[in-house]
Amino acid sequence: MVSRRDVLKFSGLMSVAPSLHGFAQTPQAADYTLVIAPITMELSPHHRLRTTGYNGQVPGPLIRCTENRPFTIEVVNRTDRPEVVHWHGLFTPPDVDGAMEEGTTPIAPNASARYTLIPRPAGFRWYHTHTMAMNDFTRAQYSGQHGFLMIEPRENPALFDQEFFLALHDWAGYLLASDDGAMNLSYAVATINGKTMGSGEPLRVKEGQRVLLHVLNSSPTEVHWLAFSGHKFHVVSLDGNAVPNPRTVSMLRLAPAERICAIVDMDNPGVWVLGEVRKHVQAIGMAIIVEYANRSDRAAWDQPSQLVWNYEQFAGAQPESWGDPPIVVPMIIESKFRGHGAMERWTINGESYPDTRVAPLVAGRRYRLQFINRSADDHPVHLHRHSFELRALGQPIQSSAPDASKDIRGIVKDVVLVDAQTCTEVEFTADNPGASLFHCHQQNHMDLGFMLLFNYA
Amino acid sequence: MPEPNGHRWRFTVLIAFVCVFASTLARAQTNYEIQVYGAETVPPESLMVELHSNFTVDGQKYLVDGVYPTQHQEHETIELTEGLNEWSEVGFYLFTSEQDGHGVQWVGDHIRPRIRVPDSWGWPVGVSLSTEIGFQRSAYSTDTWTWEIRPIVDKSIGRWYFAINPALERTWHGPDVKQGLGLSPSAKISYDFTRVVSAGIEWYADYGAIGNISPIHDQQQQVFLVTDLNVSPLWEINIGVGIGATGSTDHLIVKAILGRRFDWGRHSLVD
Repeated sequence: MVSRRDVLKFSGLMSVAPSLHGFAQTPQAADYTLVIAPITMELSPHHRLRTTGYNGQVPGPLIRCTENRPFTIEVVNRTDRPEVVHWHGLFTPPDVDGAMEEGTTPIAPNASARYTLIPRPAGFRWYHTHTMAMNDFTRAQYSGQHGFLMIEPRENPALFDQEFFLALHDWAGYLLASDDGAMNLSYAVATINGKTMGSGEPLRVKEGQRVLLHVLNSSPTEVHWLAFSGHKFHVVSLDGNAVPNPRTVSMLRLAPAERICAIVDMDNPGVWVLGEVRKHVQAIGMAIIVEYANRSDRAAWDQPSQLVWNYEQFAGAQPESWGDPPIVVPMIIESKFRGHGAMERWTINGESYPDTRVAPLVAGRRYRLQFINRSADDHPVHLHRHSFELRALGQPIQSSAPDASKDIRGIVKDVVLVDAQTCTEVEFTADNPGASLFHCHQQNHMDLGFMLLFNYA
Repeated sequence: MPEPNGHRWRFTVLIAFVCVFASTLARAQTNYEIQVYGAETVPPESLMVELHSNFTVDGQKYLVDGVYPTQHQEHETIELTEGLNEWSEVGFYLFTSEQDGHGVQWVGDHIRPRIRVPDSWGWPVGVSLSTEIGFQRSAYSTDTWTWEIRPIVDKSIGRWYFAINPALERTWHGPDVKQGLGLSPSAKISYDFTRVVSAGIEWYADYGAIGNISPIHDQQQQVFLVTDLNVSPLWEINIGVGIGATGSTDHLIVKAILGRRFDWGRHSLVD
């Protein structure tokens, strides 16, 4: 008997071989079309910037779809270099996932590709380029190639009156000597939805509304902290996955590629600033005005005095049992000095991509990845085509036996920020066969070796 | 090529470079603060405290124009530099000298404001400009009031570091007051052997007046073989041995710079 689910799976397999063809050969309209092309961005009246975007806008168009309901998307590359689009957070086959390292075919200049995607799991996902930038800080994730992808569940409780999608991004990167003795990126401009504070339209709300914010950090390298003066965030999901213990917090922290969905009660009429907590980042633009109906006050900002965030507060109270103990995979993260005038090279267990061995997994088994970060940097690590559950955070790397009493359960993500000089552990089940890329989501780190391929049949 | 071999090769290049310089040039323009400036400035709300220790092993042995001989002089200079904002600082120098028969003596003081091109401008090289005004006692320098303007350009490329300071000097009081602008360039090239240890050469020169370059014998030319130890972003350690070849140059100097940065302002992560 062939179920509807089997049919959908089959169509997913069909998408393993996406069609590549010229512009004039499209047989019928796709559900969505993404055109990758150069654009000129006006980040503010004082900052115009030439970059690459999707459909002439940054962020790219919001793609809304329903869980497990296939859709087609045509991706047209109107740039002068090969491009690829990664569907971040989706359980796609490797050939369409959008990472050349996994086997996705790049789209040649002035060519296009059509993909059939089965959108799952439900939640706030996104799409972005997955190319290399190396020392060109206008390309890859340094550009405007990112957009929101919302997979609606079959049944949506819709406990909100209005929703906004917000993308935090940094622009015009340059290298700066840092305290770790190597060069690191700094930025001249920072935006929300491609605009500096006051340069774009405000978020218009009404008193009494429950507003759902979908916040994405699409920055190539930077962690961001966000506060909403006069209001608090009720965090309901991390990386698009509902948290077991929704909490109300004063600020959000998002590492590159992380997403947070939070409900905000509009119960404090006025004109407010929703922006980066750190003064020097807000000063270069990362903020947006939130304006209640019939209010035209000067935008108010209450400067927080400290940065407050932890993942653990959203963890579940009751531990669950997975049956067999997971297979533990230690992954030692280290940097390799290349001079005070260069960025560091990165290694996982002593190997730097592409000079790495593929890590074989066994289908159906559960794995516990130990991210042992011996470097001086925090790393937002991402596993393609899977979600993982956070199990241990911020453990000292010197300890031979991790403190099991500090284990947490229930937070499912696809990116986690591993603090410097600590060990973070996550678990996932190898239930989506094929090549799966693991990497740091800082563009400069993945460019310089911080990648590893898992594979299983 | 494996890294250790690469290091040896580059070290050989540096040594060869030193030898070439040493054979053609000689002595430093001042024996109180022997330093090639980088373009970076001290961050705001931070104070950099540096001690420059220079000992002249082989220098001028005779009293000339009332100026004490430099032979076996031990110079201790305290430099305090306060960051004003992200692109400016001001430095203050206290020069002292210790020598048999003279004891510890105050030599003079200088003040040195400096500005630089902000990083956000995205220039391919670091650029800053300092100006230094100061007094030194006539027992240690015939020119007692001097002024200097020092453009600074530097660049790090991988493990290599380059800096050049084509400084211009003017005497306001002293025998050289009619000389006009003098040219006193200095430069540095170094290589990062490890994250902590860098080594290279520094070159200091004083060509005399622009438009009336002094004969080689009267020029001051000196080359130092130096190492920088980058043990912490809060510490600065520079050690070197310098040789000079012209008659006006001290022939052998040992120098050391020990610096510590103190952050005195509010430096919370929010700030």
